[in-house]
Amino acid sequence: MTQNKTLIEAIRIVVVVLIALAIGFVITALVSKEPVAAYTALLTGPLPKISFENGFAITNINRFGNWMEESTTLILLGLAVAIVFKARQFSLGAEGQMLLGALATAVIALKLALPFPWHMILALAAAMAIGFLWGLLPGLLKAYLAVDEIVSTLMFNVIALQLFDLLLFNWLRDPTAGFVGTVPFPDSAVLPLAISGTRVSWMIFIMLAAVVIVWFLMERTPFGFELKMLGANRKFAEYGGINTKRVIALSMAVSGILAGLAGAHLSMGLLKRLTINLSPGLGFEGIVVALLARNDPRWVLVAGLFYGYLRTGAQIMERSSDVTREVVLIIQAIIILLITAEQLFPRFQQWWGARRNNEAAMERG
Amino acid sequence: MSAFVEMKQISKVYPNGVVANKHVDFAVEKGEIHALVGENGAGKSTLMKILYGLEQPTHGEIWLRGQRVEIANPHRAIDLGIGMVHQNFMLVPSFTIAENIVLGSEPRKGRFLDRAQAIAITETLSKSYGLQVDPAARIESTPVGMRQRVEILKTLYRGADLLILDEPTAVLTPQETDELFLAVRKLVDQGKTVIFITHKLVEVKEISDRVTVMRHGEVTGRVATADVSEADIARMMVGRAVFLQIDKPPVRRGRVVAEVRNLGYVAETGRPMVRNVSFDVYAGEILGVAGVEGNGQTELVEVMTGLRPATTGEIRIDGKPVQGQSARRIRLSGVAHIPEDRLTNGVALDASIAENLAVDRYNRPPFTRQGILSPRAIQTQAVALMQQFDIRAAGSAAPMRSLSGGNMQKVIVAREFSAEPALLIAAQPTRGVDIGATEFVHTQLVAKRNEGKAVLLVSADLAEVMSLADRIAVMYKGEIVGILENGPHLTEEEIGLYMLGLKRDEGARGEGRGARGEGRRELSRPSRKFQPSRKIMQRRSQHR
Ligand SMILES: Nc1ncnc2c1ncn2[C@@H]1O[C@H](COP(=O)(O)OP(=O)(O)O)[C@@H](O)[C@H]1O
Ligand SMILES: [Mg+2]
Repeated sequence: MTQNKTLIEAIRIVVVVLIALAIGFVITALVSKEPVAAYTALLTGPLPKISFENGFAITNINRFGNWMEESTTLILLGLAVAIVFKARQFSLGAEGQMLLGALATAVIALKLALPFPWHMILALAAAMAIGFLWGLLPGLLKAYLAVDEIVSTLMFNVIALQLFDLLLFNWLRDPTAGFVGTVPFPDSAVLPLAISGTRVSWMIFIMLAAVVIVWFLMERTPFGFELKMLGANRKFAEYGGINTKRVIALSMAVSGILAGLAGAHLSMGLLKRLTINLSPGLGFEGIVVALLARNDPRWVLVAGLFYGYLRTGAQIMERSSDVTREVVLIIQAIIILLITAEQLFPRFQQWWGARRNNEAAMERG
Repeated sequence: MSAFVEMKQISKVYPNGVVANKHVDFAVEKGEIHALVGENGAGKSTLMKILYGLEQPTHGEIWLRGQRVEIANPHRAIDLGIGMVHQNFMLVPSFTIAENIVLGSEPRKGRFLDRAQAIAITETLSKSYGLQVDPAARIESTPVGMRQRVEILKTLYRGADLLILDEPTAVLTPQETDELFLAVRKLVDQGKTVIFITHKLVEVKEISDRVTVMRHGEVTGRVATADVSEADIARMMVGRAVFLQIDKPPVRRGRVVAEVRNLGYVAETGRPMVRNVSFDVYAGEILGVAGVEGNGQTELVEVMTGLRPATTGEIRIDGKPVQGQSARRIRLSGVAHIPEDRLTNGVALDASIAENLAVDRYNRPPFTRQGILSPRAIQTQAVALMQQFDIRAAGSAAPMRSLSGGNMQKVIVAREFSAEPALLIAAQPTRGVDIGATEFVHTQLVAKRNEGKAVLLVSADLAEVMSLADRIAVMYKGEIVGILENGPHLTEEEIGLYMLGLKRDEGARGEGRGARGEGRRELSRPSRKFQPSRKIMQRRSQHR
């Protein structure tokens, strides 16, 4: 029975993606002189090209790398959001936690001299710790003072951004650089490469481990059970004896750990330094991933890869065709919109089921 | 003679696919009181909504006074002399009773409502049908019983010959029910016809001339009331024999399990909801708590189970003080709780049955070992409990949402009973569940008592308390106004007097009569002045 459901769900997603892509193509056709080429860039851009003309060769490995880098960050953020959403806490704090995570890595990387791998490990730990703290605070406010978490986390994002700018400008910045940013991190605090020719680092393994750990946390620990019950019905959880205040605070804090790691990925893996405007709004993309994945860590992996692919393809389409960035973003948004429109397909099923039921009832009559 | 109303071969399929009525034939003679009975969801309200024009039948015909009629909407129904009082009242709270009665066809003076005329109309109606109301009172400040009379008068004002009353007694005290029955008889004496929906069998026997029984959307019986027993009707409702009377061996009271002393709870609004309540619950007995809803029972239970903090007083379970402790600690001290509002805190609709069955125990073996949770153990327990408690569902992984009310309640009962508590607190344990599940819950409660557990049964259904409890504590305005030994000598009317605040025992504040000689010396308290009943009833509605 459940298997049947998963199958229906899979079919649903495939159908919706196809519909969304078709709509995307119609829009592309409206604005582009070469819609097919442009759309091909979107759809196949992130794949490495394999050619057999002069013997076997793989080119464009960097595009594949872009896809993996993008997805790694997105998956970490998606996991962060999935944890809080599972507990039905609408924390929007990933953005701030990510910024502070990156900031913490810069402080450790630039202000401490340590050998590899301790330097790297300490920087990662600092990013996770600050993320934890930056989630815990609004979590405690929500749990004990009933401060709405949407408001508080957005405010914490503002504080995080200002802290980030403040420390970067006044303390960490490299005054000789032509832009606002730090000097490159020492190698001891940089994540080693996993695929040469790209910027895909060890973070991809950390990310995979995180998927497993978060899944384990949700499905195989009492805390995960508490998270689920809190999300399903807070009063019920309380009635059952669960200390919901503790769970609320902890869910937001644990979520922060993953967002902090995403920040560490940006600084220690991709840029290898800290710059201003690190990646505005990225923190919110985690929400898209978590929604697509219905807060299931395993699906966060899939959804993160899908969304990363889409975003990378969109960048490539933007670079290699006459379709402007705005249109690309619109197409991307429509695809996500359709997929997250949970009711689209169920409505149809309902309508269909009711019709058959009616007929059957009338036939018996 | 052809029937006054005849519904022929009525079928109704709701847009969501639910078949609420299947080929229903239903006939009412002029001047009779016709009971329409069936379990929740049997399709009674649907059938009556069709007669009142609120729903359109998918199939079938309606004949009235020997003529085929189409009832497209309630307006048409009213024109035809059909009136309906709904399960949920539909009055304007901020209007006066007189205004509500004439609403829709108001007497006017110029362009404005003629208030004096409206009040005069109301008084005349009220007198001629013996339905006493206060025309100038606002609906929001009147008690439920009076609101119901207003609804009835309203339909009469619009010229109804046929009155449909949808579960009118569900919200009434025994006294109010008696008054309603008197009024209904008077209506019939004056030539009206009444369709009376209920699922209480006692009422069917008491009030009706004939009865139509429905089950799963179909008519399963149509008989003259005098020809059948309550058990016969129950069998038609449920489809099998039902044991209405529970066999209870005499009480064998053991040790004191729960001691409640001078317990008080003041709500956030500053209103005292539980006032200086003291009682004991003994092993091997069921202590019933009766009372009109909203007199502090909910708060008492929530304080005792750790869901709300007590403001004053003491609670001891097996001698250990537990007030102020968390819900989990109190559960661990041996208290289980069937909550009164199962959808609010008794279940998580989106979680699975298995998860619902583990919410109080997931963190200890066999469900969690060395910090690792075993979904398999949770599932294994669920399969066992579902079998033991006869929970009908697609499987232990099915979401709670997919269960019927009765089966949901069985899940709760299964969880709380399997916790092996010393004290079981059951609040409204059969509300909204069908006869089959009610019978089940009752048998289980008595079984726990016979096993030597202490049971605290809080119920607004007086018949339930009287058939199960060994002693009955009555709550009124947050206080326990009497603790009565249950037995053949105790009548509903007697308890009703306590429920309405018309009678109170001076000894009731402490552990009282009947609780073997060891009852502590209770503080007695000066008696209150006797108050006229109308005022009390109004206060009561404000108290909610
Ligand atoms: N408006 C509605 N839409 C869909 N289903 C309904 C609606 N009203 C009632 N039902 C369903 O129809 C069935 C009969 O309901 P109802 O007539 O209210 O029963 P009763 O009054 O006997 O308890 C139930 O299964 C109920 O869930
Ligand atoms: Mg009904």
